[in-house]
Amino acid sequence: MSADPLLVCENLSFSYLDKFPALDDVSLEVRSGERLALLGANGCGKSTLLKVLDGLVFPGAGRYFAFGQEITEDALEDEQMNEAFRGRVGFVFQNSDAQVFSPNVAEEIAFGPLQLGLSREETAQRVTDVLAMLGISDLADRTPFQLSGGQKKKVAIASVLAMNPEVLLFDEPTAALDPRTQMWLIELMAQLAEAGKTIVHATHDLDALDRIADRCLVFGEDHRIAGVGTPSQILASRDLLLEVNLVHEHTPLPSF
Amino acid sequence: MTTPAWLLEREAGLCPCGCIGKRRKGSFVEKTLSGSAGLLRQVMFSDDLAHRPGLLQRIDPRAKVIGFLALLVAVSFVHSPWMLLACYLATLVLAGISGLPVVFFIKRVWLFIPIFTGIVVLPAALSLVTPGEVVLTLWHWNGHAQGFTAQGLRAAALLILRVAGSVSLVVLLTLTTPWSRLLAGLRGLGVPKMFILVIGMAYRYLFHLLTSVMDMYEARKARTIGKQAHDRTARRFVAATAGALIGKSHHLAEEVHQAMTARGFRGDSKVLNSFRFGAVEVAWFAGVAVAAALALGGDSLLVR
Repeated sequence: MSADPLLVCENLSFSYLDKFPALDDVSLEVRSGERLALLGANGCGKSTLLKVLDGLVFPGAGRYFAFGQEITEDALEDEQMNEAFRGRVGFVFQNSDAQVFSPNVAEEIAFGPLQLGLSREETAQRVTDVLAMLGISDLADRTPFQLSGGQKKKVAIASVLAMNPEVLLFDEPTAALDPRTQMWLIELMAQLAEAGKTIVHATHDLDALDRIADRCLVFGEDHRIAGVGTPSQILASRDLLLEVNLVHEHTPLPSF
Repeated sequence: MTTPAWLLEREAGLCPCGCIGKRRKGSFVEKTLSGSAGLLRQVMFSDDLAHRPGLLQRIDPRAKVIGFLALLVAVSFVHSPWMLLACYLATLVLAGISGLPVVFFIKRVWLFIPIFTGIVVLPAALSLVTPGEVVLTLWHWNGHAQGFTAQGLRAAALLILRVAGSVSLVVLLTLTTPWSRLLAGLRGLGVPKMFILVIGMAYRYLFHLLTSVMDMYEARKARTIGKQAHDRTARRFVAATAGALIGKSHHLAEEVHQAMTARGFRGDSKVLNSFRFGAVEVAWFAGVAVAAALALGGDSLLVR
């Protein structure tokens, strides 16, 4: 694994409506090819951080660099910068209904590559390939309201993978999925990491942590980073997990 | 955490006498929502029909939209009720060979005609509006029979058949073309991309929000015991649901915009569909031209 930092956040702070803090003085580095898990209780700022990393919201204080360039609202107004950044960072939202907005699955998957300027032929080929890779070729002509929750999640992932991003951001990827789809997703994330993708995901799921993360960042309920470490180090810190409200005193932790 | 004592008590159970035969009809809210659920099922069924292998399903949507538009124009120029009847029967044949259940197709078309056209044409068939030979006397006025006239009924039949033919053509188009391809077809005909994008998303999220409304109603129904008020309470529920829905749709709109931005959307929508014009489309246009010529030619012979 290379040690080049792809994404760098320096003392980020963010508040909704200038009233409700979501991030407070958060600094982190995401290195090329690593799998980083953002752990924390509900409302601690994980999703907001992912949105900052994807250039969808911008911090009130602090700086964010991606691929050596500072990402600001103004910088993303630039056509070339926008195209380069959007093509290299993909975001799988927690709410698949928000992400799957096109009239049918094939058009949904084609949306990103077409926006990035790929030809129709190349886009159509990518759509076919990614549908086959995820085993959902039979869904190509379906409308979103004909899909189950798990199928929508697969389509949302396919729509991001079709853009072939270098960094993949997942917001609570396994939430509200049945156990089989959860396992499928965990295996897919492992496969993507093996293919050299950098993965940042927000999660509560401690059971599969060792399979989906090389490093963990633990958020406290005060919206600050409370701890950093490998999955085994974090899971061994029961006091830390109790303090950030990630486990209950009666919760058994997975052992390694 | 302390559990309150009442939570540990069991509530009174079901009376051993069972049903007492007292029933209440559902409120207008329930009827509206069950109607909406029916609509959702119907749309899903229609989409399934559009994917069936059939004659019309094979044609490129852009060619289909142009062809049906030409047929609609031709039908609007036909003046003979017999020719209009022939046109209507031709749409039934087309529906049959496109794999559509003909009874469903007929119901779909005739459901609206009595409501929207019947009410309009009924007075026109009376001797008060269209004078002529009275064929069905309803009352007398100064010793003259008044009622439906042959001329009035002919004019009414002409209008109803023309509407039936036109509606059948539109229903044929919509039932044999998946919604997404229909939009793509319109886009191919020069309808602005942004307009199509907005319509497509409105259609997609209409069902999503409809599901939310049904969830809210069912959550309320699951906690409603005994007599349900059908007036003020129901109206208050509708108002509260509408308010909650506006909040939800606002939040959803923001998330959808972020999801689009995340994938490179900068205000210009690009689409995948490319259009084909092969032998099937050439044959379709030839068929449309022949059908339009037959309808207009036959009409001029019959009207002469």
